[in-house]
Amino acid sequence: MSDTPSSEGLPKDAGHRLEELRNLFTSDLSVNEFLLIKEAGFHPLGFVMGSSIYHTGIQTRKWAKSQELDKLTEAMYNARELAMTRMEEEAQQLDADGIVGVRLDVNYYEWGSDSAEFIAMGTAVKAENGQSYRNKLGLPFTSDLSGQDFWTLMQTGYLPAGLVMGTCVYHIAHRGLAQTLSSVGQNVELPNFTQALYEARELAMTRMQDEAGRLDAAGIVGVRLEEKSHQWGSHTIEFLSLGTAVVRSGAEVTLPKPTTIISLDH
Amino acid sequence: MDDPSSRRNRIRDEVNRLEAGGFIGGPGRTSVTSDLSIDESLVLHAIGWEAVELVCGVSTYSIQGTLWNWGSGEIVSASMAHARALGDAVQKLRSECLGVLGHGVVGVHLEVSVERYLVNAVLVGTAVAPIAGGSPPAVPFVSDLSGRDFALLHQAGWDPVGLAHGASFVYAPRRRAMDTVRQSTQNVELTNYTEALYSAREGAMERMQRRASELGAGGVVGVTVSEGPMEFARHAVRFAAWGTAVRRSGRPAVLPPVELVIDLDDEQRAFDPASLRGSGL
Repeated sequence: MSDTPSSEGLPKDAGHRLEELRNLFTSDLSVNEFLLIKEAGFHPLGFVMGSSIYHTGIQTRKWAKSQELDKLTEAMYNARELAMTRMEEEAQQLDADGIVGVRLDVNYYEWGSDSAEFIAMGTAVKAENGQSYRNKLGLPFTSDLSGQDFWTLMQTGYLPAGLVMGTCVYHIAHRGLAQTLSSVGQNVELPNFTQALYEARELAMTRMQDEAGRLDAAGIVGVRLEEKSHQWGSHTIEFLSLGTAVVRSGAEVTLPKPTTIISLDH
Repeated sequence: MDDPSSRRNRIRDEVNRLEAGGFIGGPGRTSVTSDLSIDESLVLHAIGWEAVELVCGVSTYSIQGTLWNWGSGEIVSASMAHARALGDAVQKLRSECLGVLGHGVVGVHLEVSVERYLVNAVLVGTAVAPIAGGSPPAVPFVSDLSGRDFALLHQAGWDPVGLAHGASFVYAPRRRAMDTVRQSTQNVELTNYTEALYSAREGAMERMQRRASELGAGGVVGVTVSEGPMEFARHAVRFAAWGTAVRRSGRPAVLPPVELVIDLDDEQRAFDPASLRGSGL
């Protein structure tokens, strides 16, 4: 067993489950989602996942300096990429057109400090009309849209191209004693905090947009911005932005007019 | 520790007592106990089915002589105990269902607890049958879908055939002391842990798939996975997966057309994509 990270190749136990998936599909879709995906002209092939347990290194931070911790950013990127790539490989093995309902999670186990499991899972789907819906890179599309969102997106003439993300681990400087004293009892903005949070978010969003650019996407829908401190203490925060890059499908669509309802069950 | 078989007998006695008093079930089905909501009962009625009775299945298996923290590979005795406990509970649920002339059980709530020396499985659900009657099938289906989901699938031309489940317990190997020291400042993947988790997941999912194939299913919907560390075994990983195996019924599928609606209620809940993921059992 080597300890060097590699993005190629699934761990050895990954293969045979998928080989058994011939006339059977598995999916974590709810019944609603399952029926909507069928309605959109896709068939679920199998529940796919990728996972990686990753040890993050150490980086020294200066108490009074706001800065990106690039070593930690790199770790968060690498680990998620490993998990995503493995999930995509499973989907490719099933000859899928895409993966819907992707969830990215981070789990902590008690085996050791500074390590965490990064896991990506979703349901691989294939178009029933035989057409290929793979993205520009020839890979199955990935998307964190639910079955409902996927159906709605298809109605509007867009197709998901890929799940895009950007991350930035940032250390926010502590305020010095003089600064703290000078603002006691006053209404003031704390510019160093504001600026640090701004910069970190901008970095994460820019990286996400770059990923979408690589897929020639027309836009990103359903963007979420998550902030987590993981196990680094309160002044070190990971900013993670996630969304689904979409491309025009080319087909001319007329959007159905939504019906308005008032439900009586309140 | 409450003995499950005596607990089950006690529940059974209670139900018998109520039945004798004419409260539930019995010939003519004067009244029914079920944990279905009013909406679900209505939807079931709309497709010509009704609830018959609340049924349960309980089973406990012991895990034979296992050292939870030292070893490598799969912890076979634990995986087997898990499979047997769940399989047995399903069996009991089925026979209770047949006892009340149900054709299947919907809305099954699964509760599986793993302790150091035993696995305990408790299944509770509502037996349902077509209003038109008819003799129940030899093997009634068991499904963790809600009554609503069952009705929707039924209309779309799919039938549940049973509960597909699988579990696997695997030792997570320790790192060598040298590696731990060397890796303490690095960004690296911990390949041995990754492989242990993979092996647990794949083992469990494979078993689930095999069970679904044995049931003659075309697929498994609503797969729920449960994983995590166990308090008594820090160096072992547990992974369990279950879902409802479904099959095309051959009846013509009538899906009501999908419509876009906008809810005009003021009290909008904040949009959370995770909430669309079904009941999230």
